Amino acid sequence: MMQFTETPPPPLHQISSFSNFTMNKNQIHRTRPWPGFPSSKSFASFGDANCMEQLLVHCANAIESNDATLAQQILWVLNNIAPPDGDSNQRLTCAFLRALITRAAKSGTCKMLAAMANAHCNLVVHNHKFSVIELASFVDLTPWHRFGFTAANAAILEAVDGCSVVHIVDLSLTHCMQIPTLIDAIANRFEGPPRLKLTVAGATEDVPPMLDLSYEELGTKLVNFARSRNVMLEFRVIPSSYADGFASLIEQMRVQQLVYAESGEALVINCHMMLHYIPEETLNPSTTFSSLNPYSLEYYSSTSISLRSMFLKAIRSLEPTIVVLVDEDADLTANNLVCRLRSAFNYLWIPYDLVDTFLPRGSKQREWYEAAVCWKVENVIAHEGLQRVERLEPKSRWVQRMRNANFRGITFGEEAVSELKTMLDEHAAGWGLKKEEDDLVLTWKGHNAVFASAWVPAA
Amino acid sequence: MPVDLENSSTASGEASVSSTGNQNAPPKSTNKKKRSLPGTPDPDAEVIALSPKTLLATNRFVCEICNKGFQRDQNLQLHRRGHNLPWKLRQRSNKEVKKRVYVCPEKSCVHHDPTRALGDLTGIKKHFCRKHGEKKWKCDKCSKKYAVQSDYKAHSKVCGTKEYKCDCGAVFSRRDSFITHRAFCDMLTKESAKVQSEEPNLIEGMVKPNTESDPKVQPVDSSTSTPPTAVLAPALTKSTAAVSSSVSPGQSSEMPENSPQVVEEAPLSAALNGSCSSSSSSSGTGTKSSSVFASLFASSTASATLQPSQTPVLTDLMRAMAPPERPTDVGSSSSTDPIALCLSTNPGSSIFGSGGQEPRQYSQPAMSATALLQKAAQMGAAASNATLLRGFGIVSSSSSASAHEDSVRWSERSFESDNVSLPGLGLGLPCEGSSGLKELMMGTPSVFGPNKPTLDFLGLGMAAGGATPGVGRSALVPPAGGALDVAARAASLGGGGGGGGEIAGKDIGTSS
Repeated sequence: MMQFTETPPPPLHQISSFSNFTMNKNQIHRTRPWPGFPSSKSFASFGDANCMEQLLVHCANAIESNDATLAQQILWVLNNIAPPDGDSNQRLTCAFLRALITRAAKSGTCKMLAAMANAHCNLVVHNHKFSVIELASFVDLTPWHRFGFTAANAAILEAVDGCSVVHIVDLSLTHCMQIPTLIDAIANRFEGPPRLKLTVAGATEDVPPMLDLSYEELGTKLVNFARSRNVMLEFRVIPSSYADGFASLIEQMRVQQLVYAESGEALVINCHMMLHYIPEETLNPSTTFSSLNPYSLEYYSSTSISLRSMFLKAIRSLEPTIVVLVDEDADLTANNLVCRLRSAFNYLWIPYDLVDTFLPRGSKQREWYEAAVCWKVENVIAHEGLQRVERLEPKSRWVQRMRNANFRGITFGEEAVSELKTMLDEHAAGWGLKKEEDDLVLTWKGHNAVFASAWVPAA
Repeated sequence: MPVDLENSSTASGEASVSSTGNQNAPPKSTNKKKRSLPGTPDPDAEVIALSPKTLLATNRFVCEICNKGFQRDQNLQLHRRGHNLPWKLRQRSNKEVKKRVYVCPEKSCVHHDPTRALGDLTGIKKHFCRKHGEKKWKCDKCSKKYAVQSDYKAHSKVCGTKEYKCDCGAVFSRRDSFITHRAFCDMLTKESAKVQSEEPNLIEGMVKPNTESDPKVQPVDSSTSTPPTAVLAPALTKSTAAVSSSVSPGQSSEMPENSPQVVEEAPLSAALNGSCSSSSSSSGTGTKSSSVFASLFASSTASATLQPSQTPVLTDLMRAMAPPERPTDVGSSSSTDPIALCLSTNPGSSIFGSGGQEPRQYSQPAMSATALLQKAAQMGAAASNATLLRGFGIVSSSSSASAHEDSVRWSERSFESDNVSLPGLGLGLPCEGSSGLKELMMGTPSVFGPNKPTLDFLGLGMAAGGATPGVGRSALVPPAGGALDVAARAASLGGGGGGGGEIAGKDIGTSS
């Protein structure tokens, strides 16, 4: 059943405190509503996700304190209870297990593990390079992405109503997969389609899902498609990376603003699961400072503001018509490994749990899907510093950031909500839609998965 | 097929007619708005409120002979005729029957209000299932789920017919999926290419990043009615790539078959590669999902192979694996004591090589790691019979020819180098009396069964006992193709797969 509740349920699993990471297990006893796990009698009362989480936490502690023997022992046990082809919790645990081994191997003291890591035996998460057609169907496997697409498109359409030129800056993890439906929707606009400009940041990083097509070719297809809908589309790629807060993109946009500021062109900034890659405060500023080139060094060095906040301020200065921010609702920014591990474990069960509802075991798509999640786990657990790019923040923190950047939240229309409901109805029963203040939240079995929010410059 | 008492004019509440069910509660449709609100009954009608249980009861009328249940008494009566039991159908009465309407038991539902009651029992039943019930019926083709079986049946008749179809043959049930696909599908490219006639190199000039060529407005196609695409001002296109029109008919986005990443680590010798490949080639055991530990051990042994100077490490490892209090006699111990997983607690024995720092100094208030491990071991024993052994099996699976020699040589050496006899392998749990561990290691006997003796035994052999070098070597040569290293010392058990089998089997048999 789809739920649509106005009041948010209490957060079921929150990291209660950052400092107290060797917490009593009973304190954060999670009651997960996901079904089917401890039913098997062989698992007794102990063999649940809590146990696995505890073992992972112990293992992480052992690795962090260089207790190699203990770490290895726990890794061993984990390996036994978490086969990579087990149920969703076992697969989840297995992903963390791999990540922990990778992490242990990286710390130079563990020679054996290092040798293994060098050999890459089966630790390397192999990420599929999608063809554009594969990716198009991949993003539709679940509402995970389509939720954001649909909400964003509705908000954008409403915001650019009446504008004759619309410039969309698409900062999306999914390589423009949202754009066709946007073009399609805007083509059917009552007053006729606007002229569309589409600017994307040329991806330089290998974050899944990866595309085997250049953005230029992708743009060609989009332009072609737009033409078939009688929409004029200009497409351009600005090589730009999240690592420096899309500095060159911002720079280009500023130049353009000088040219087009008076023309009444609507500017749409569409951020789909991309901004959480921009370094935030927990990334050691010294490394950031030395290796990156943010917009203005003096400003950066004089304050402790993060690239992430700077980016938001920068797009605010472009006076956009609307900013849509869609991202995954979790906190993976803690510098403490154990905190991060717990947080990730309590979020990433969702993709593993839901995959069972729509993809059969052994299918290629499932392999790709799980590899992408696995990649994320590894990035969060095994890496540190600039390499650790999966820096999700919860919705509340994004809201705070947006407000600090002088944005004001706007509500999604009823149209968007009903469209989303219809869409969710066509997927598995566990999906739900929640309204929290102005924002929409996609839930899986009652747990927040993805949020969508829309913003306009505050007066 | 029970008789449907269509014209008995709802003499009893239960006997309402199913064929009218869909009128009042239509299946979910997108054009709800156009319909008048369902459920605006005759104000004189008698309002019936049934509990969910009564509403959903399917077999309220049960035949005492065959226990078959019926939803309606009338149908039971008809059924009773078959048993030659007395039966009685209600006669059509002449007096006017009062109309009944039904409300939904769900309090929050609009149809809970008597003014919006539904006119027949089946209708309210379906409504209740659809709106407030579990969707139990799933379409195999499109995964849509339905709460009412008849909805499901109706859907499955048309499933696949009302879809969006691309010229390439792909079919979509949702419009936005179709549109997304369509935008990127080559069919669109081909189609539009027909009506276009641009020079193909136009785009190439445009897309190059940092192109200095002035990407000014290019009239794309005057023959079509589409507006020409314009490109942003030249100043802006510095370091940008602009695509203003598309041509390239037939450019297809072929996806190169991704071959699994081949690891070529220069500094590593063949032996290491060998063991790597062995872990990946172990799919013979049906493990494409070879467990992590496989590689851990594969490479740990391999690294020892690589660097002869490091053999002490390995020896250490071996020693460490031996249960401290029982250093000798393979035969007896393997048959009596499930040492299999005995864990070293000796200082300096760490595989991780972090030598000195043995003290485990992490605190956990709730449950000690050891306790956790034991618990987990129990659960592991019950839950995963395969992985553990698979993990070890992999170590011993065949290695490449080049690795072969090294491995053999190495194992030879290690046989000579020490007399460690009980290379138990495993965890650092206290080895006495940890029954959980026993189970963990010994697993379910079936694991050791004949299904995959070769690989698993090699791995297990490590745990179970030593062997004379001679046997070990001969065991290395056979089918496993130079199976590796550590396993070799146990070769008499698991060795070439064939011979050692029974011993290990016995061993297991007694211990588990």
